[in-house]
Amino acid sequence: MKLSGWQWLAVSSVLLSGLAAAETRPQYGATLKTATSIAPLSLDPANKPDSIAQRNLTRLMFDTLVVLDDRGNLRPGLATSWQTAPGNQRWQLWLRRGVKFHDGSPLTAEAVAAALRAANPDWSVSAAADSVVLERNVPDLDLTASLARPQNAITKRGEGGTLIGTGPFHVTDWQAGKKLVLAANEDYWAGRPFLSTIEIELGKPSHDQLLALDLGKADFAEVAAEQSHRSQADGHRTMTSSPVQLMALLFTRERQSQEDGKLREALALSIDRDSIRSVVLQGAGEPSGGILPSWMSGYGFVFPSSQNLDRARELRSEVPRGPLLTLGYDAADPLARVIAERVVLNARDAGIRLQTATAGVTDLKLVQLTLSSLDARIALTATAMAAGLAGPKFSGTSVENLYQAENGLLQAQKLIPLFQLPVAYALSPSLKNWRQDRDGTVHLENVWLENKP
Amino acid sequence: MNFRRKLLLVFALTVFLSVAAVAWLVSTVTRRAFEQSNEAQTAALVGQFQRQFKQHADEVVRRVEAIAASEATTRIALALNRSTSEPGSFLNEAGPIAESQQLDFLEFVDAHGTIVSSAQSPAKFGYTETSLKDLPQLASKPAFLKKEELPSGTSLGLFAVRAVRVGDTPLYVIGGQRQDKNALAALELPAGMRASLYQVSGSGFSPQMFTAASETQEEEQQPRVMSQLVHWSENSADDETVHAIPLNGPDDKLLGILLVGTSRRPYVEVKRHIQSAAMLVGGIGILLTILLSGWAAARFTRPLEDLASAAREVAAGNLNSQVRVDSADEVGELGEAFNRMTRDLLEQKERLVQSERVAAWRELARRLAHELKNPLFPLQLTVENLLRGREQSPEIFDEIFRESSATLLAEIGNLKQIISRFSEFSRMPQPQLQPVIVNELLQGVARLFQAQLESREGGAIRCTLELGASQEPIAADGELLHRALSNLVLNAMDAMPRGGSLSLRTRDHGERVYIEIADTGVGLTPEECASLFTPYYTSKQHGTGLGLAIVQSVVSDHGGTITVRSQPGKGTSFLVELPRNLEKLHAPSLDGSVTVTQVH
Repeated sequence: MKLSGWQWLAVSSVLLSGLAAAETRPQYGATLKTATSIAPLSLDPANKPDSIAQRNLTRLMFDTLVVLDDRGNLRPGLATSWQTAPGNQRWQLWLRRGVKFHDGSPLTAEAVAAALRAANPDWSVSAAADSVVLERNVPDLDLTASLARPQNAITKRGEGGTLIGTGPFHVTDWQAGKKLVLAANEDYWAGRPFLSTIEIELGKPSHDQLLALDLGKADFAEVAAEQSHRSQADGHRTMTSSPVQLMALLFTRERQSQEDGKLREALALSIDRDSIRSVVLQGAGEPSGGILPSWMSGYGFVFPSSQNLDRARELRSEVPRGPLLTLGYDAADPLARVIAERVVLNARDAGIRLQTATAGVTDLKLVQLTLSSLDARIALTATAMAAGLAGPKFSGTSVENLYQAENGLLQAQKLIPLFQLPVAYALSPSLKNWRQDRDGTVHLENVWLENKP
Repeated sequence: MNFRRKLLLVFALTVFLSVAAVAWLVSTVTRRAFEQSNEAQTAALVGQFQRQFKQHADEVVRRVEAIAASEATTRIALALNRSTSEPGSFLNEAGPIAESQQLDFLEFVDAHGTIVSSAQSPAKFGYTETSLKDLPQLASKPAFLKKEELPSGTSLGLFAVRAVRVGDTPLYVIGGQRQDKNALAALELPAGMRASLYQVSGSGFSPQMFTAASETQEEEQQPRVMSQLVHWSENSADDETVHAIPLNGPDDKLLGILLVGTSRRPYVEVKRHIQSAAMLVGGIGILLTILLSGWAAARFTRPLEDLASAAREVAAGNLNSQVRVDSADEVGELGEAFNRMTRDLLEQKERLVQSERVAAWRELARRLAHELKNPLFPLQLTVENLLRGREQSPEIFDEIFRESSATLLAEIGNLKQIISRFSEFSRMPQPQLQPVIVNELLQGVARLFQAQLESREGGAIRCTLELGASQEPIAADGELLHRALSNLVLNAMDAMPRGGSLSLRTRDHGERVYIEIADTGVGLTPEECASLFTPYYTSKQHGTGLGLAIVQSVVSDHGGTITVRSQPGKGTSFLVELPRNLEKLHAPSLDGSVTVTQVH
């Protein structure tokens, strides 16, 4: 049989496409090795994992009833559907059938109710056949979204008191603060993960992780925000999230007087965020005057973040005797040190007496607050709570209401937002199908490794 | 203060002053020796510090020059010169380079003075280096002191500047090392000394204490050292002499002070030993002084005390008083002279008494002759008249006899009166002492003569009483005193034939009472005043001259005195001064009985 030119072309295309498909076809098995800078002593989600790394660890082992997609929309998790009663005080969620815990026991409404009650003592949770019913005394618009938070993951105590979940991986070795080894959950309701094993070294600094990546001892590494550009320049495949970590100055006391308020405003206006971003953060992140990142709220630009030294000096001059303020920061974090010192220099330019301190009680602290949810209202509430601010007051669900709530928090002048920082990962070339949400959540259950045992 | 006490005081004072002077002298010499030693040690320490400072400065210069010559610095300079660097490219460059050269401070500064990279304060990127004015000039200078502003405060450091020139624009390397306790650790400090470095801050201290803007270069190189005694506690052994040596920066500004402290404990301990020894010696000296002065007093002052006692006896009227003379020195001569004087006085007194007695007899004889002659002459005339009448006129003899008998009887009566007055004067009794309140006595006298004073024929006499406040009694014979005062009042009445004023006054002065009786009468001449108390002297036509003599006798018997002041035409004032003599009320009487008098 003799093939014509067109036929040869068609056969060649089919063969080439077959070869290409063979290259991108997921491969099951393989052990993923990685590390993280955090060193948790417990894997219990009830401990309210507040960092992105902790959140990622939790969701490897535990599932939630619902999940939020990349745009903050609710999607089914362990619950396939849900219904809210008028008044937003009663919810019923129907559970996915056929889901099993890591010990093989089925996911029941009673187990789900028990887990939710343990995590939320003030909730009224009851099991009803294949569904759970949640009731609250006051209307709660955000209850279903909050069910997607890691602390509301469904857990259960297995044999020997070990905490087990329904997640894509189960624990095979746990050395608190040192090492975690996970194996694929063969019966995972969403399908077995491609990876057979994940070995995670805990408490490893970012630069050591990058070194391990370069040496082929790790498949991906966390990259500090300010190192993301350098990581790319060094040839690493670097994945960066949207800005999801708020770096801010947090006053340890409430505003004491009108003069104190002027001093705080002067401090906020004195900070040259652009210089810090371009030099210290090496261009990473974005200057911010708001609590929520702009990509989430859409109105972040409304809050001023530019330096206005003249106005800062003017405000400072209205305070006759400015006290000597102390700024605390994490002494173990060199980035925090440089930023704190730069803030001190900027403040002195405005005539504000500010001095760094790494011990004792300080007047304000340089803090980093992680965006805890892709739902803006929940994220704002959680950030305010984490910062020790009063809970935001929402008068509705619109963007205007969100802005008013956020503006109300800022008007208290206890928090001076500085930057919104992203999280970044450097990936090895063999790591495939990497998926990362805007908030930095990594979906390792979809990852596979090419040509690795 | 008696001689014995004076002697003791002088001896004690002499010993005390001597010991104190010696102690002060030794203490002063010790202090000066200590201070000289202290100065020498401080000077040596300062010299050592300056040598180390220079070595340290040379070392900093060497390290900074090494950095300036390094490849990394050249790379930075090249990048800056080509303007190929991105913002923040050199943020972390200075830190590792400074660490490699063991420098605490390192900054790279471009030609415009902008900090490119800072090891001590990475956040300073983009800021202008303002603490150093003239970098090109400093780039060829040795190391200097500089105060470095850090985020957590300020720190003093030894800095050097060197320039790296790649192309047209220079890059300045400013490196330094901290001047802290490590810089002082190498100092070899003698025992009792310590050194510290004081960093002068912007406030709370006066740099003018040490430097002035007009100081010359020479003065800069030899900084003025000041010292001050610092009391750390109430215990002076904790005191410390602190020498302060100013440390200036390149712009002549005071940046730090080297403080060299020297403990004064050794000096204070020596001083305390000296003080203890001085107190011991002084105590022993004063004890010996007491014993010595006691012996000296016994040796020298007893004859004087005997002499004083004898003198007091003489003053009291005992002219037989003699002192015992045991020595042949000046005190002995004084005793002999005293004894001789009392013997002479006694002899003179006896001679005076004899002559006075003769004079008294003569005066008595004269007065008696005078007094008796007056009545005798009429008696003689009357008797002769009787004889003549019997012989010549017997018919009227009876009539003459009656008249003559009457005259004779009258004159004989006069004679008897004269004789009774003399008899009364001679029988003046000794006062019987009893408590007498003078004011009441004088009031009684005034009451007695009240009627006579007011009803005088020539003119009334106004009597005023001015009595003192005291109601304390005196020891006196009330009756005799009443008679004496009455005599004085009668005299006053006689002196005011045409009326006038009579003042009766009393007043107290300690243990003596004064009674004054003053009139506004005719007054007396000085001659009359001088003879007024002489018995039988009278200025009156019918007086016996015994009234005021009796008054003086009464006053004298009471241990008092009477004086008179008078001017013719302006009245006369008698002042009686009486001792209280209350102790005599309790004294045993001569007959051995004891008079117990209730004083009201």
